[in-house]
Amino acid sequence: MSADVELSDVSVTFGSFYAAKNVNVKVNGGEFFSFLGPSGCGKTTLLRAISGFQEPSEGKVLIDNKDMSGIGPNKRPTALIFQNLALFPLMSVSENIAFSLEVRGVSKEERKKRADELLELIALEGQGDKKVHQLSGGQKQRVAIARALAVEPKVLLLDEPLSALDLKLRQRMRTELREIQKRVNITFIYITHDQGEALTMSDRIAVMNEGELEQIGKCDEVYNNPLTPFVATFVGENNPLYGKVTGIEGDKARIETADGQYLATMNESKKLNIGDESIAFVRPESLFIPRDGDNFDNKIDVNIESFEFEGNLKNFYASLKSGAKIKFSVPNAIDTSSITSGSSIVLGFESSKSVILPKASLAID
Amino acid sequence: MMGIYIFIFFAYLFGPLIIMSITAFNSAEFPSITPWECFSFRWFNEGKIAYDGQHLAGLLSDWRLHDGIISSLIIGAGVVTLSVPIGMAAAIVLTQVRSQLRDIYYSISIMPVLFPGVIIGISTVVLWDRIAGLGGEGFIADIGRNGIFLTILAQTCFISTYCFLIFVARLQRFDQTQEEAALDLGASQTQVFFKILVPYLSPAIASAAVIAFLFSFENYNTTVFSILSDQTLTTVIASKVRLGISPALSALALTIIALTIIAAVTYEVLRRKAEKRYAESQEKFVKEKAADNRINKKYKAGFKIPKGITAILLIVVFATYGATQIVKNDLYGQSCIDAADKEKKSKFLEQLQTLESNELTDEELSGGSLGGNQDYGDIFGDPSLFQDFGGFD
Repeated sequence: MSADVELSDVSVTFGSFYAAKNVNVKVNGGEFFSFLGPSGCGKTTLLRAISGFQEPSEGKVLIDNKDMSGIGPNKRPTALIFQNLALFPLMSVSENIAFSLEVRGVSKEERKKRADELLELIALEGQGDKKVHQLSGGQKQRVAIARALAVEPKVLLLDEPLSALDLKLRQRMRTELREIQKRVNITFIYITHDQGEALTMSDRIAVMNEGELEQIGKCDEVYNNPLTPFVATFVGENNPLYGKVTGIEGDKARIETADGQYLATMNESKKLNIGDESIAFVRPESLFIPRDGDNFDNKIDVNIESFEFEGNLKNFYASLKSGAKIKFSVPNAIDTSSITSGSSIVLGFESSKSVILPKASLAID
Repeated sequence: MMGIYIFIFFAYLFGPLIIMSITAFNSAEFPSITPWECFSFRWFNEGKIAYDGQHLAGLLSDWRLHDGIISSLIIGAGVVTLSVPIGMAAAIVLTQVRSQLRDIYYSISIMPVLFPGVIIGISTVVLWDRIAGLGGEGFIADIGRNGIFLTILAQTCFISTYCFLIFVARLQRFDQTQEEAALDLGASQTQVFFKILVPYLSPAIASAAVIAFLFSFENYNTTVFSILSDQTLTTVIASKVRLGISPALSALALTIIALTIIAAVTYEVLRRKAEKRYAESQEKFVKEKAADNRINKKYKAGFKIPKGITAILLIVVFATYGATQIVKNDLYGQSCIDAADKEKKSKFLEQLQTLESNELTDEELSGGSLGGNQDYGDIFGDPSLFQDFGGFD
């Protein structure tokens, strides 16, 4: 059983500070939905508003089309997985998992049965009698999920539950979370500041900044067609090229920067006019070193400054004539021995792989 | 060098207790080590009927002491049942209060500790005397003038603050998201309290109860006012000391020390057992996880001489020396006590006789040298006493 979750004009204020401002979003039943944003952007506040720990100052939270105002967290069909998991250290694993059944007065045998079922679901059969501190990080994670699933909530809320794990485990847990979601088929609302997590697991994501929603959409949509400079730079990496619009060519705009003219694609809902202050964005992986016969829409002269080896990619940091910095990545398989610090080269990129947006502030790294 | 310092420190700490404990076994009427009369357990038992007929009570036969202990126990139980919940509630409130109010609340909460106990005792009596005066005869008048009830209230005033501090310390490390998690999983506030908070606080509840009881049991300065006409152990002891100390008090002290040591050792043994069990379960868990055989190897600990051995040896040497001296000089057992008593009695009789022989005759008393119409110069029976007295220059 899954349920829709709808936030209608939700604002949460602390004094005069807006933790969330006029948030409107509808999460469909059975969806894996992520709120993505930097720390302090209000995403945890929204989660607390959905789970009932925080009453919205304005607006309504609807779960299954029912208004949730005045209904406490223990009466809502949601389950929250806390950032620190908040497992009960004095109880065994089984007791932790069956806690929600215990407080509902379910008999001991029933509880045991259900706990065993859930232990099987999270692949921890026979470990129910262990204490929580005897489990590893990933196991604790799974116990927290099982505990939240014990009463079959309609909505599962996850507050950055993977942030404390190491990289390998985090990657594995991503897949596991996704699998569990498919198996139990309930709505997952996931909060994270890690765009990699959000992109790999979610059906849709909502990008938040300073309490407001910047963009809601499918992962590739948000990545390829960012709606604001903030989204363009927060989700993935992007090189900004500042300038003024000098010409419109269909759905594309020409931008005049201190280092030359570039052609970039406009967003449908963010049309530009000639003379507008704007920023063109090009991702590091969309910048290419032209080979013979290549003909790119845009060419850009750079001076290589430094180099960084990441494994699958090689990252180059370069500067333009005006002093602006630019980063580009090359797959490790490509030979780049001729490119050394101090050398000047020409890079090319396609206008279809570059977006142009009205000038606004970027995400600060 | 370090050892010497430690020895001096512990000698300073425990010396008086050891001396006092030894005096409990001396049959003399006053607690002393020298002169040693006889080795005896009489001060633990029925005490002694002195040769002049006075009863010097021992530990077992002193009914005032027994009454005092019983009321101390009742008061202790009352104080524990009141101050532990009060302290816990106050500490929980502190976790809920934010902002500047928190500091004010904290200061007010710990204030009773800073008041002199005497003032708490007197003010409780004054307040309840007024309350008792309101209702005329009846329940309120009875309870308002009941020493045990008043003492429980008066002691709770400041002992609950110690409990509060214990709970505050424990609650500071409490992860409040656990409460939220429990709520989120459908628990009511009451269930959160009993299933999450109380189990977490149970060590603090235990230590607060023990400390509250001990504070109550040994309290004097508040109790002495609020107890009114009743007696607790401390007030009984204090009133005894006022009349002169008896070895029965040494016997009591030794009993309390022994009980304390037994309790401490039992606790430590149980704690170590639990720790060992925990370590074993951990080890088992690690072994299950690690296929590596190196971990499974047993390391046998070699025999080590405990560090406190010198102190123990010292005590043993002194005890043996004392015991041999007592045995050699036949300073133990009923025969010794009888002999000592006989000797004292004869001395007493001797003194009585001397007094009787020196007693003034009736004639001397009535007409005699002290009264009558004689000159004051003759007051000391020697008319020439002040003859050469030249004055006070």
